[in-house]
Amino acid sequence: MSTLVVARLEWRRQLVRPLAWVLAALTLAWLGWNFTLLLGSFLAGQIQRAALPDGPGFTDLVGVPLLGQLAQLAFLVVPLLTMSVIAGDRRNGTLPSLFAAGVPASRIVLGKYLAILGWLLLWLLLTLAMPLTLAHATHLDWGKLAAATLGLVLMLAALAALGVACSSFASHPAIAAAAALILALALWSVNLGAQMAGVNGGAINWLAMSTHVQPLLRGLVSSADVLWFVLLIALSLVLATRRLATDKERG
Amino acid sequence: MTKISPATPAPVLQLEHVSRHRAGRVAVQDLSLALPRGQVLGLLGVNGAGKSTTLSMIAGALRPDRGSIKLNGEDFLEQPELARAWIGWLPERAPLWPELTVSEHLDAHGRLRGLRGAALREARTNIIERLELQPLARRLAGVLSQGQRQRLGLACALLHQPAVLVLDEPANALDPVQVAALRKIIREQADAGTAVILSTHLLAEVTAVCHRVAILHDGTLHHDGAVLAGDHAALERTFFEIAMNPRPAHAA
Repeated sequence: MSTLVVARLEWRRQLVRPLAWVLAALTLAWLGWNFTLLLGSFLAGQIQRAALPDGPGFTDLVGVPLLGQLAQLAFLVVPLLTMSVIAGDRRNGTLPSLFAAGVPASRIVLGKYLAILGWLLLWLLLTLAMPLTLAHATHLDWGKLAAATLGLVLMLAALAALGVACSSFASHPAIAAAAALILALALWSVNLGAQMAGVNGGAINWLAMSTHVQPLLRGLVSSADVLWFVLLIALSLVLATRRLATDKERG
Repeated sequence: MTKISPATPAPVLQLEHVSRHRAGRVAVQDLSLALPRGQVLGLLGVNGAGKSTTLSMIAGALRPDRGSIKLNGEDFLEQPELARAWIGWLPERAPLWPELTVSEHLDAHGRLRGLRGAALREARTNIIERLELQPLARRLAGVLSQGQRQRLGLACALLHQPAVLVLDEPANALDPVQVAALRKIIREQADAGTAVILSTHLLAEVTAVCHRVAILHDGTLHHDGAVLAGDHAALERTFFEIAMNPRPAHAA
């Protein structure tokens, strides 16, 4: 129950922060503009594609690329959203209040994580609403769109967990945001050198987030990819919990 | 809301041989204290004496390295959730979320302390009325003055009617009228059966509201005895004697 109380408290804090609203407004405006451009391009090439028997459709040319843009924005948005969740509490001196109310560190972390995840899922849902509004007028590949959406959900969940972990270790929210951004970018492109050298397998490629997101965006769901995200989320949240528990021990 | 059996013989709060290190030095050493219901204990000491560390441990925000803390006979280090309903804590600097209004703070603290629905609404209404927070109810905590922040912190500590009220320098930033109101609230709480621990630097605060005084120095208890009503000079003498020339602990 205390997890939900913390989640509710964090959700309320997010709702009244101008940063969350500004981020939502700017990113959705950007995504809306890009949706219009993608749609225009799709409509312009419709006649040529009609000649191709298995040509790319609305999902390939509008839906998935739009989600790809959201994935790019997430690298900036998620660290900004998560930076204050624990580092901000540490600065306000409000963490001891939660400890004193008998809320275990694990529930504090989980509650805050769920609140951030809720915001991010709403953000994804609003983005997804753009291609879905045309579902009645075009042919959507529901399977591919669902796989891409799952990929985005997992990616946002992993970035949020990474951000919460960085916030738990940082003394200042700005440091948490910078650390989360750098770690996320490093995790995305850790295999860049290997890719350029033509190496497509091995541990370095397994470690990279891009290796696990791209198949999902192409419509390929693999339990190994899902497991990679689950492991990253679990590891990040466990680290955040341990850090918070140390805070309580040290005082 | 805490219900305590009137027949309970044990003190509501009992510290036994509590010790704690902080930042590589001894903050509290072998501290034993017992506090019955309805008693106000003043905790005195110079800066760094270990008062805030002691209060943080009693509030459940900090674990002792050694010793035990019992609430109504139950070890709350083994059951940290006891602190949720039993203890109300106002730290030295009222911990507030600047994005929440006064009313939202009370709701959040009430939920964290286990209040729900009608009980929460009733508790919030009562405490807003009692601490005269009506004009501030919809104001964000981030824009409150220091005195208003302290009042809100006190409201959060009292909201769930705790059995033990832990106040760490609550008169900080309060004007004389608010100090008088604070003293009245402390007396009312004690009359209602709440055990109150009040840490302060103001000796007059102790003689005005406390039944008993404990003086800490270098993390060690140096004095624990009754406060003689109005005998400010005696308390001042004892305090300065310990602060300037600390000797091994003794009970008065």
